[in-house]
Amino acid sequence: MWTRKASFTFTGGIALILIGMMIANLQMMILGLTFIAFIVVNSWISGHGDVEVQRTLSADNLYKGDDLYVELLVTNRSNRNTQLLEVYDNIPHEMKLRSGLNQMRLNLKPGESARIRYVLRCPLRGHFSIGPVSLRSRNTFNLGVDEMYVDHHSDIVIFPQIKEVEEAFLRSRTPKMYTGATTLRTPGQGSEFYSLREYVPGDPFKNINWKAFARTGDLMVNEKCRDAVTDLYILLDSRDIARIGTVLKNPLEMGTVSAASLAAFFLKRRDSVALAIFDDSLSYLPPDTGDKQYFKILSALAGVSPKGNMPLQAVTNSLSGRFSRGSPVFIISSCEGDGTVPAAVRDLVGRGHEVTVLSPSSIDFERLVSRIPRMSYEVLKLERQNRLTTLAGSGAMVIDWMPDMDLSQALMQVRGY
Amino acid sequence: MADDVSIQADVTVTGEISPRTLHLKMLRKQWQIISLQVIATIALIGMYLEVVSTYVVGSIDHTMLFDTIEILIGDQLPIGDWLTGEGRDGMSRFYVPIILGLLLGGGMALLAFQTPKVQQRVKLGFIITLIVALVGQLLLSWLTGMLFSFSLRLPNSSELSSLEWPLLMIMSLTILFLYLLPVIMGVRGIWGLSRRSIAWAIGFTLLFLGIHAILAFPLINGQLGSYGDSVNIIGAQFSDPTIGIFGLMLVTKQQFALIMIAVLIMVFQESSYGVIRYLEYAYRLPESCKRDPEYVRQMDNVLNTHLRHTFGFLGLTGIATTIALGFHSVLLGIVQDSTGSQWAGQISESIELSLTYGLVISAAMFLSVMAILRFFVPWERIWGFIYSRRNPEVITQGKEVVEI
Repeated sequence: MWTRKASFTFTGGIALILIGMMIANLQMMILGLTFIAFIVVNSWISGHGDVEVQRTLSADNLYKGDDLYVELLVTNRSNRNTQLLEVYDNIPHEMKLRSGLNQMRLNLKPGESARIRYVLRCPLRGHFSIGPVSLRSRNTFNLGVDEMYVDHHSDIVIFPQIKEVEEAFLRSRTPKMYTGATTLRTPGQGSEFYSLREYVPGDPFKNINWKAFARTGDLMVNEKCRDAVTDLYILLDSRDIARIGTVLKNPLEMGTVSAASLAAFFLKRRDSVALAIFDDSLSYLPPDTGDKQYFKILSALAGVSPKGNMPLQAVTNSLSGRFSRGSPVFIISSCEGDGTVPAAVRDLVGRGHEVTVLSPSSIDFERLVSRIPRMSYEVLKLERQNRLTTLAGSGAMVIDWMPDMDLSQALMQVRGY
Repeated sequence: MADDVSIQADVTVTGEISPRTLHLKMLRKQWQIISLQVIATIALIGMYLEVVSTYVVGSIDHTMLFDTIEILIGDQLPIGDWLTGEGRDGMSRFYVPIILGLLLGGGMALLAFQTPKVQQRVKLGFIITLIVALVGQLLLSWLTGMLFSFSLRLPNSSELSSLEWPLLMIMSLTILFLYLLPVIMGVRGIWGLSRRSIAWAIGFTLLFLGIHAILAFPLINGQLGSYGDSVNIIGAQFSDPTIGIFGLMLVTKQQFALIMIAVLIMVFQESSYGVIRYLEYAYRLPESCKRDPEYVRQMDNVLNTHLRHTFGFLGLTGIATTIALGFHSVLLGIVQDSTGSQWAGQISESIELSLTYGLVISAAMFLSVMAILRFFVPWERIWGFIYSRRNPEVITQGKEVVEI
């Protein structure tokens, strides 16, 4: 395709020839003819050689906020030069270039290769695709331009960030019925003997093994195997209302981070974790342990987007039959726009579950993007407090999570639970 | 064996590593960039000299204007003849002014790279010097005159005559500046990386050619009377061609000069704009890319290709235009030689053919055939094949730069 420059040169050439003919001026005609000849000679070279593109990523899965290293290998597989080729690797607009550049102007000889290296920062979780690779070839004098793309994609999943959870000692009051299903080789609270160890101040006296003390002369205590595996159920609110706030700070983003962090914490403790995400429908991941479950949960959380308006009671009604008896249930929801939340929580508590409501404060998130009059804010805040108080009155542990509060700091509210 | 191991280009004898980067400071000293700038400068001077020799010298050149002014004022102009080229013949009248123009353009380019503070000081200094040169002598003599005579008065005629020299000097320099405007602006644009200055240089040249074409138009030229006689008119009809290729005489010397003007304008334009384009690209690259050996290597490739294409394509453009202009005679020669018919001879002598219409139509025919040829002859594949024959091994990336 001709560029604007080529079109002007051609039109100018024709105009000069015609004017030159009109006023019998040879210089103008020759100037015009030279312009046309320039276009004609340059038209002999068009397009570019066959280019092969190969992209290598440093990882297929990353955590939010991590850096992704990308290398694009461009090779000229044809027997001709590529001419001036602009290579542009299309990156999702959610990702930011941290160093390097995703484009290069190059001119490859037959068989020659060039590497484009750049680093992307991934500030948002989700499923992304890098590519296609756009190519724009120009001739040296910028008279012709051809645009095309190589349909080469690299998929990448950005998991939610995992925060350190140290103080969330959540445990089921009721031991699991089938304890033997998962072999635990970790010390903890339980009934089965695990090992002997030296007494350290703070150990309860009832754990002292007096026989061992009599035999060795040193105070020794019995250490027990963890005799129960907790099933933890995480219910994540992904309704449309969860998008309130900025792209990086909204109830859903905070919810995914907390869900991922809790799942990581409990799975590390070899507990079973189940995840239910409700938006316009309900997605349920049955409880399981291990790295595979961890990966499944993170993948599910990576793909979450705010949509729909499913009430919490519909979720609890459909899942209550699947919940293990007495298992803790974690509800991560702003509790806004859903009148069924108190009833659902009451129902779960009534069934013997330990319910913890982690509620990102959506009013404060809204404040980040729009100016709310002080009076309105106070009223809304009061309404929210009343709502949370009602939930707490139903027997649930309620955590009011402010936008600037760290997850572990928020979870301190359930310490000693 | 020892000869095989040589120091890398980017490693100094003392062992220090000086990797090549795409920082402007370094890139501006790169041989390809300097070559392109030199080519552009040579093309500019060539173009100017061609235009001057074809249209200006002995017709409307500055020395003739200076002579006329000297006759009018009845005195010599304050600017020296060795500077203006007065008293010399032909193109030698322009040699010293061109050098002056190059120096002035170079100085302006140099000034463009100074800090704004220095630029401001130089400009201020220039203005003050100009004012002092213009009215300094007048003010000094007038004020001291008033001081010694203790009277308030207007400057007298002898004091006012001190304005004559600076005014004539400034006028002479302005005339010289106008004549040298393409050179001054062109050099400033090439070395000072100014698109606007390059456009000025090309625009002024084209404007001159346009005005000349209008003044040379018979109807207008006739109205100019004796002034019209001084306009150097190039007729549309030419004598027998004397310049050609492969033994075929295609164009006359005068036509060839006109082709050279057109080609040199394009060489100047493409080289000077090319330099700015590539430097702009390098400037916009992030720091990490400027240090990336891959970017450095590809910049080398792009610049080398530009240099090759400047010679190749613009040379071919000149040849194609030359053949196109002489194509009618070639065609008729072939017909005459192959058929021996009288028709071809009669046609070749017809005035319509040698005049614009026949010439342009045959030239357009030739260029059309050339344009269509791209669909039949795979030029790029042929060049690629030649390249592959010359470089049978697969090109591997040579480590020309040190990764840091």
